[in-house]
Amino acid sequence: MEVFIAQVINGISLGSIYVLLVTGFNLLLLVAMIIHFAYPQVVVFSMYIIWLVLEVTGNNLILGALAGVTSSILLNLISAPLFQKVMEKRGEVDINSTMVMSMGIGMIITDVLSHGFNKGHPIAFPDTLAGGEAILRVGLISILPGQVSAFVVGVIAVSGFFLLLYKTRPGRAFRAIAEDPNGARLVGIPLLKTGLQSYALSGLLGGLIALLLAALIGSASSGLGEQVALKVIAVSIIAGLGNLVGGLVVGLSLGILEAIVQGYISGTWSNAIAFVIMLLVILAKPTGLFGLKL
Amino acid sequence: MKKMMAVGVLVTMLFAASTGIAQDKVVVTEWQIPFLNCLTGPLASHGSMYQWSTNQAAADINKAGGIAGKPVRVIGVDTANDPQKGTVEMARIVKESLVALGPVPEPVIMAAMPIAVENQMLSITGTTSYEYASKFFPWSVAWFPPYPKRFPPLAKAWAQEFSDMKQVIQFVEPYGPWPMMADAHVAGLKEAGANVLKPIEVPSDAVTFGPLVVKALEQKPDGIIFACNAEKIAKMIKELKSRGWKKMDHLLVFSSGDDAPLYTVGGEDINGIQVYNYVNPDTDSPRWNAFKSAFMKDHNGMPPFSLSTNYYDALFMIKEAIEKTGVTGDPSKLKEERKKIADYCANVKKFQGLMFNWDMKDGVPTNKPLYIFEIQGGKKKLVKEIKLAG
Amino acid sequence: MSLPLYYFLAITAVNILMSWALYVPYRMAHLHFLIVANMAISGYTAAYMVLSLHLPFGLALLAGFVLGAVIGFAVALFIGDAPTFAVVIVGFTFIYITRTVIENTEAVGGTMGLFGLPNIGGSPSVHRWTILAILYGLVALVGFLIHRFDHSQLGRAASAAFIDKDLTTSLGIDIKKMGILLQTFSCTLAGGCGVLYGFIYKSFHLDYFTFHVVGILMTVIFVGGYTTLWGTLLAAPVLYGVPLLFPPEVASWRIVIYGALLIIVLVLKPEGFITTRFVYGIESFLSRKRGKRTPLTKPQEDV
Repeated sequence: MEVFIAQVINGISLGSIYVLLVTGFNLLLLVAMIIHFAYPQVVVFSMYIIWLVLEVTGNNLILGALAGVTSSILLNLISAPLFQKVMEKRGEVDINSTMVMSMGIGMIITDVLSHGFNKGHPIAFPDTLAGGEAILRVGLISILPGQVSAFVVGVIAVSGFFLLLYKTRPGRAFRAIAEDPNGARLVGIPLLKTGLQSYALSGLLGGLIALLLAALIGSASSGLGEQVALKVIAVSIIAGLGNLVGGLVVGLSLGILEAIVQGYISGTWSNAIAFVIMLLVILAKPTGLFGLKL
Repeated sequence: MKKMMAVGVLVTMLFAASTGIAQDKVVVTEWQIPFLNCLTGPLASHGSMYQWSTNQAAADINKAGGIAGKPVRVIGVDTANDPQKGTVEMARIVKESLVALGPVPEPVIMAAMPIAVENQMLSITGTTSYEYASKFFPWSVAWFPPYPKRFPPLAKAWAQEFSDMKQVIQFVEPYGPWPMMADAHVAGLKEAGANVLKPIEVPSDAVTFGPLVVKALEQKPDGIIFACNAEKIAKMIKELKSRGWKKMDHLLVFSSGDDAPLYTVGGEDINGIQVYNYVNPDTDSPRWNAFKSAFMKDHNGMPPFSLSTNYYDALFMIKEAIEKTGVTGDPSKLKEERKKIADYCANVKKFQGLMFNWDMKDGVPTNKPLYIFEIQGGKKKLVKEIKLAG
Repeated sequence: MSLPLYYFLAITAVNILMSWALYVPYRMAHLHFLIVANMAISGYTAAYMVLSLHLPFGLALLAGFVLGAVIGFAVALFIGDAPTFAVVIVGFTFIYITRTVIENTEAVGGTMGLFGLPNIGGSPSVHRWTILAILYGLVALVGFLIHRFDHSQLGRAASAAFIDKDLTTSLGIDIKKMGILLQTFSCTLAGGCGVLYGFIYKSFHLDYFTFHVVGILMTVIFVGGYTTLWGTLLAAPVLYGVPLLFPPEVASWRIVIYGALLIIVLVLKPEGFITTRFVYGIESFLSRKRGKRTPLTKPQEDV
């Protein structure tokens, strides 16, 4: 039983990574109608900026956090006009174009990180951020501060953004612009201001996620974004594109599934098993288990 | 004075005759050695280290008078871990080159080496295992003996260090030859009387390692060998410590894991663990000391890693082959001179490597030592040298 | 023929064929990355047939095509009419699963790969000419078929589905059947390409079939143009060949250049460099020169 509990906690920890990333991914989809394949790469880019600032400032966590959030917001704002340009016609095909464009952005980010930072070696965050000591350890069961904060913030972020988008006026304005900009303009929503706010908001979440992942994983490599990108998008599709609560449930479930498979069956087959299950769900229910929220 | 000069000339002539130097025959003004290397892409950090080593070797050779009196230049050719690029670059090189360094890494080796073989040009893939290089003999030489010769004595020696080493488990990542390396450890561990537990397979895209570490600890191992990527090893060691693992010297990292990320990601958490590889940083020789200090100067104070000396030695081996076999660089003798270099390298005796001297027999080194080190504060302390008999 | 030219031509042909394999289902907005997994599955199977079962290359190549077709058809039964993002994920998922299966299968070399594929026809020279003949024969044949398809009713139906699936369905077109047909065709082609790809290198390694390949193919069709087959024919050799001529300092940034090119083209020329309007203009010009009527096919933008 001890092993099982330890593996479930491990799974929740892994699932928290998926939840954080899929929430950011879904948020962009909801407020800007962008299928951002490279969202995890954008987050990893912010992790690198955090690391860079920590290196330069002698591990000043506040400056590091600020830099991470700022870089994420800036990256989002810079890419916003590009995405908007390819989405002018607003059909399914244009959503596909945003997907292809985000793949291009991902290619650039991954290659720039492998060229330009730390001679291509992975980066490591200081223990002050990553938190080395377990806050609870009973036999094989161990809980680290980063695991708790990632899980808690993941749940809070999903609840908070759900409330913001569906229960508040600004949230409705974000979604209105994403779904029908002309209609939104007709009802008096300021397009530019609200559009920029929505991109900045998803950038803010991206920076926060970068910080949490730095604490949870403790290191990053240029390929980290690509490593998790597919699973993040698969989680979003299985849950139902744009479905925040579905993303939370499916993200945590995938983490637990992987941990259980790795712990009880096989490490190298764990991906294949997880992917076969995901594949079966996508083939059987392409609109997702919890339904599209677009 | 005249007598001394005459003796000097005579000695020079005798030396030239004995070594086969025929400087007047050399037709090139500069020896250009192409190096098919992964200078970009996911393994660029390794590629830049290999390139640094060959550039250092070229500088040292040129400072000492060049190859047969002519300077040498290593031309870095980027293959970027891309077989599409690697094949075209190798096809270009085999037109004129006497010999080449690389390719790096395995996917490019597999795609590009058949071109070198078909055109009968030696290409030294100095960082891959015998199991890859041997497929391309005699147009490649291995830098290492086969796994079944190399690793059983090493794993046995490590296990025998500790009287409480009853059960050993391995973390193995499915990349290239790593599973075969892990298999070779098993034979040695069994010889040492240890019970070898079922290995833990490490997925290539694993991000967190809790599930794998719990699975390993559940089996109550006394020792652990890591045969996976350096960054993953560092993270697994952190995970082990967070779950109460205390016997740090009972953790052994394989040679490919002795890489920068092990130290940068592992930090203080890897203090006390053991690693094995082919480079002993405590060697004390003028040549090694110069290399080591130059490496540390250009790599933020980090000492040379496991594979950092290989291409340095490879360029010196090419120099020796050219000088000892009287290669001239004459394009009309290209085929014949390529064979001379390949034959020489395949069976060179007492080759003076940066760390130690070794012999080659039919393209395989016969007497390279392996070292086990303990890591403390990012530095290695020699624990044991394992001599492999030919 | 010089060796670099041979490798350039052979790999370019594979890139053209594979980009067309991506192009065909994308005519109805399906980015079908299953083709990369199919390359690996058919390639490894054919190599096993030749190396371990000592079967002739021709039979192995045929098996590669058939295997590609069977897998493509079986998967298309489920995703023939799925939304694009689902098709993308299915493709990526298959790449992962295929890699895992191969690295755990010792019979095909596992993580080490397969070495020593023989020369077709005995000598290296015959091997090279045979490979080129097959590849460029395929380029001609597949190019002709796609050209006919683009100018057929089915092609126009695909164009309609690209823009609006619901409207196309309401016009009586069976989207699913069309998806199955196009996806099966593309997977068949990818299966054969996988076999030929390995025989160019005379080896197989898992890293021949990575997401990097997906990136190259995507750049080829989006930069060249995804509304006609001609864009691929132009972009594949240029995108592969030009970086080979770059000085090392520039070449090392070629993935960044690819990515930037992809973004710039999507923003400035969303249909890529060679558009249907451009092709229509050339066809009209040629027709006038020959004194014929303007071709009936209209540019897709006008559909």
